Amino acid sequence: MKRLSFAVVFIFVLSIFAAPVLAANTFELVIPLPLTGKQAKFGEMMKRSYEMAAEEVNARGGIKKKKLILAFEDSGAKPETARAIVERLIDVKKQPIIVGEYTSACAKAVAAVAEERKTPYLIVASADDEITQQNYKYVFRQNQVNDHYADALVSFFRDVVKPRTIAILYESSAFGTSGAEAMAKDAAKLGVRVVMKEKYEAGSVDFRPLLSKVKAARPDVVYMVSYVMDASLLMKQIKELRVDAKLFAGGAAGFAIPEFIENAKDAAEYVVSATLWTEQLKYPGAGEYAEKYKARYGAYPSYHGASAYSAIFVVKNALERAKSWTPDAIRDSLKATNLMTAFGPIRFENREGYRNQNFMDTLAIQVQSGRFETIWPLNHASKRYIYPIPTWRQRR
Amino acid sequence: MTSAQIEVLLQTLISGILLGGLYALIGLGMTLIMGVMKIINLAHGELMMVAMYIAYWMFVLFHVDPYLSVFIAAPVMFFLGVMIQKFLINPVLRVESILPENQVILTVGIGMVLSNLATMFFTSDYRSTPVGYATDALYLSDYWKSSPIELSLSVPWSVSFVFAVIITIALWFFLSKTDTGKSIRATAQDPEAALLMGVNIKLMRVITFGLGSGLVGAAGCLLLPIYYLFPALGGQFTLIAFVITILGRLGSAMGAIIGGLVLGVFESLTATYIGMGWAPVGRFVMFIACLVFLPGGVASLLRKKRFGA
Amino acid sequence: MPFVILAILAALPLTGLSSYAMHLVILVVMWSVVGMAWNLLGGYCGQVSFGHAAYFGVGAYTAGILYTKMAISPWWGVPLSIPVVALFSFFLGYIVLRLRGPFFALATLASGEVMRVTAENLVDFTGGTLGIMIQERTWVEKTWYYYIILLVATVTFVLVKKLAESKLGYYFVAIREDQDAAESMGINTTLYKTLALCISGCLTGAAGAFYMNYMGYIDPNVVFALHDISIITIMIVMVGGVATYWGPVVGAVIMVLLAEWIRSIPGLGTAHYTFFGILLIIIIIFLPNGIVGDFPKLKRLLKLQKA
Repeated sequence: MKRLSFAVVFIFVLSIFAAPVLAANTFELVIPLPLTGKQAKFGEMMKRSYEMAAEEVNARGGIKKKKLILAFEDSGAKPETARAIVERLIDVKKQPIIVGEYTSACAKAVAAVAEERKTPYLIVASADDEITQQNYKYVFRQNQVNDHYADALVSFFRDVVKPRTIAILYESSAFGTSGAEAMAKDAAKLGVRVVMKEKYEAGSVDFRPLLSKVKAARPDVVYMVSYVMDASLLMKQIKELRVDAKLFAGGAAGFAIPEFIENAKDAAEYVVSATLWTEQLKYPGAGEYAEKYKARYGAYPSYHGASAYSAIFVVKNALERAKSWTPDAIRDSLKATNLMTAFGPIRFENREGYRNQNFMDTLAIQVQSGRFETIWPLNHASKRYIYPIPTWRQRR
Repeated sequence: MTSAQIEVLLQTLISGILLGGLYALIGLGMTLIMGVMKIINLAHGELMMVAMYIAYWMFVLFHVDPYLSVFIAAPVMFFLGVMIQKFLINPVLRVESILPENQVILTVGIGMVLSNLATMFFTSDYRSTPVGYATDALYLSDYWKSSPIELSLSVPWSVSFVFAVIITIALWFFLSKTDTGKSIRATAQDPEAALLMGVNIKLMRVITFGLGSGLVGAAGCLLLPIYYLFPALGGQFTLIAFVITILGRLGSAMGAIIGGLVLGVFESLTATYIGMGWAPVGRFVMFIACLVFLPGGVASLLRKKRFGA
Repeated sequence: MPFVILAILAALPLTGLSSYAMHLVILVVMWSVVGMAWNLLGGYCGQVSFGHAAYFGVGAYTAGILYTKMAISPWWGVPLSIPVVALFSFFLGYIVLRLRGPFFALATLASGEVMRVTAENLVDFTGGTLGIMIQERTWVEKTWYYYIILLVATVTFVLVKKLAESKLGYYFVAIREDQDAAESMGINTTLYKTLALCISGCLTGAAGAFYMNYMGYIDPNVVFALHDISIITIMIVMVGGVATYWGPVVGAVIMVLLAEWIRSIPGLGTAHYTFFGILLIIIIIFLPNGIVGDFPKLKRLLKLQKA
């Protein structure tokens, strides 16, 4: 019992001391993120990027001379918790704008609350198409929707690879499913036959049965939509089974993060992936941000980080233009955003059934000599694409 | 069947068997703990995660191969298991409560703490040991030039499989031939009778939990070269361990390897011929079916055949 | 006593609680319902289920599918989930109730997972992993949600209490204490266990249907979650007090409010999870029958310390 009361007292003391002392001339922005659980990696990357952006904003005099103070709350990727956080921000903290979250399930929960409570919500990295299709007036999204993630990749297929058949493998999640659906639709448009479309449970250990089937089906292109490490396991086992195809392509996420190359090593070579952003882009500040991040944390960030980093500048810009710092005024100024950021140009448009959605160029990257190179569209390319790719036998 | 179909079938079976070996290794610790103490340990996967971090850091800091780390991680995990049993689980088991399952909460709590501590100390980054042999494989066509089909056998997976078999045999030997092993089995069968026979059942439980943790620690080291590592990885492997424990027989080392193989082959076949998305359904349906219809595990079928009973 | 508490609870929205506080209160009440339902099966009847997410999810999906397939208000899901879940739990009980103790626990655990993956795979019926989203939730204000779930909770509480005090309740406890003895006394254990499972499942399903309406979004990973639903449910009951009327309520208060409080301690960051885990360990070591179940012990311990 002594231990119990000690623990309680300890927590109390902690909570008292940890309460931040706020000066009047500050603007506090609390950001909900998944910092525990399976999605924690992305939450962490985004947290670091938000912090880097806030430092830069403050170094240049803050927002309208107010110092920007960031705080983060862990939602653990649970929708109820994300909702609790946002209800508190709107209700108790009276925060006039919400930024953040990562998983689509949480973003949906937050978006519904934001719309009901008439508080603008800027989505940074949740890709599920549905969110901005609800005709929500207060919900803005700066990352591309899942349906368009692979646009650059599809045009690469059309102009360069010209495949006749495609096999689509995707993880069993909202992201994987909608990515696979979008590719199936695009394939139909290009006249490419889908010979296989199969999902797998994320986190699987052994993909060989699935891959032997792919091998037997002999598709021209193998397109995979996977989170994080499934991507590198897939490529490793493809190499091991010597599944040959004209091209191995990934649908962003797991194929576009540094861990992919680190883990899959030579198996990752020549793999092409869709992505929303690379550090080689010529957007102002993109390279600087990536280098700074790498210097600090040892690896390049993926598009999730860049989007988070730029979100702070979008918020800053919107707040500076807003007539007053009320939710409605901020909503109006967010709607009028036309800003060039490290993540690319940001404008919130209503089209194709989406509302307040930023449509941006997507890219295709390829792993060349153990590095991501931007290869498509050609005006963004940092290196020329390598195609055709050698077979696994030739690579030894 | 065309040669392509035969190739798919054979490759599926190979990977099923290799996967089974790995599963068996993960299930071994669980079957021992559940068999002896009848407790449901939901921190099983988290214990494996801890062992994987040990192996990972041994590799990064001292360039110790993950396979050698087995000999470091397993004793460390044994010690950790002993501590958990002695200071956390035993006190709870001792107290009379309406439902004995309250220890489950304890293991959930332990799991939460372990995975969260890992997040705090090692960040939630995904890691993997960059061992050179991760994608090495043996190919049929390299040995038999005119082979009409191509089959491959992954080197690290085969190593894990061999390890699994060796560890299972060692454990079986320990449980059936040594005094301590016999006492553990006696504790599993009837704790009160064992107590009357002069077995220190409390000590046996501590040893069992330690041994179970050490075994899952070894499994973690063998999994590391072929998989990857992050703090929240435990959960899915805990579930797999449950399935194997039931498919084999509670407390049976040989049962675990049979259970692992059955599950591995079954999952691979499901993945090939029905769809990989359905593989987990198959896994758990088989699990429930086995619980209901084969309380002695799949191994009991074999035994019945042999002795006609 | 219960009437006083009910009156206080009914008056709660009138006190002008913030929407944030109401959200937490609604979650507490919802989890109490699930906890009380679990308690009927686990606490009284002794069948420890690790798969209440299955019933919760089936309830939630009943409401969701009514909305997407038949275009009627998902609120119909709350009453309609009862026959659906009853049928489902009858079927499931037929399989899993043959098992005892840890085997029953594992079978239920697996049944929750089976339901999750099935819901993921039946894309045409459930929407698969894309989930079901309600375009516009019924109310912005939380008051009505609160009264609805409070009504469900009151019904649940009364039902569990009446059942536990009836002959049926004694049968349940007899089964929990010694199933073979109960059988030999002429109690049809299969019948009563199935009954307990069905009632427990229906109540959980109703809470699930409410969740669909309240949160406006579900997907298989959210409502069939092993850790976030099934295990949280067990923790609520075990921490609060097994086989007590108020235990699940106390447990829900602790699991929701305390978790939220610890989580929002600034500066603690991700360590909140460790704190919460340690707290659970401490509670279960010192109060193995939960706070309500071991209340005399808790009082004694506290008194001892004062003296």
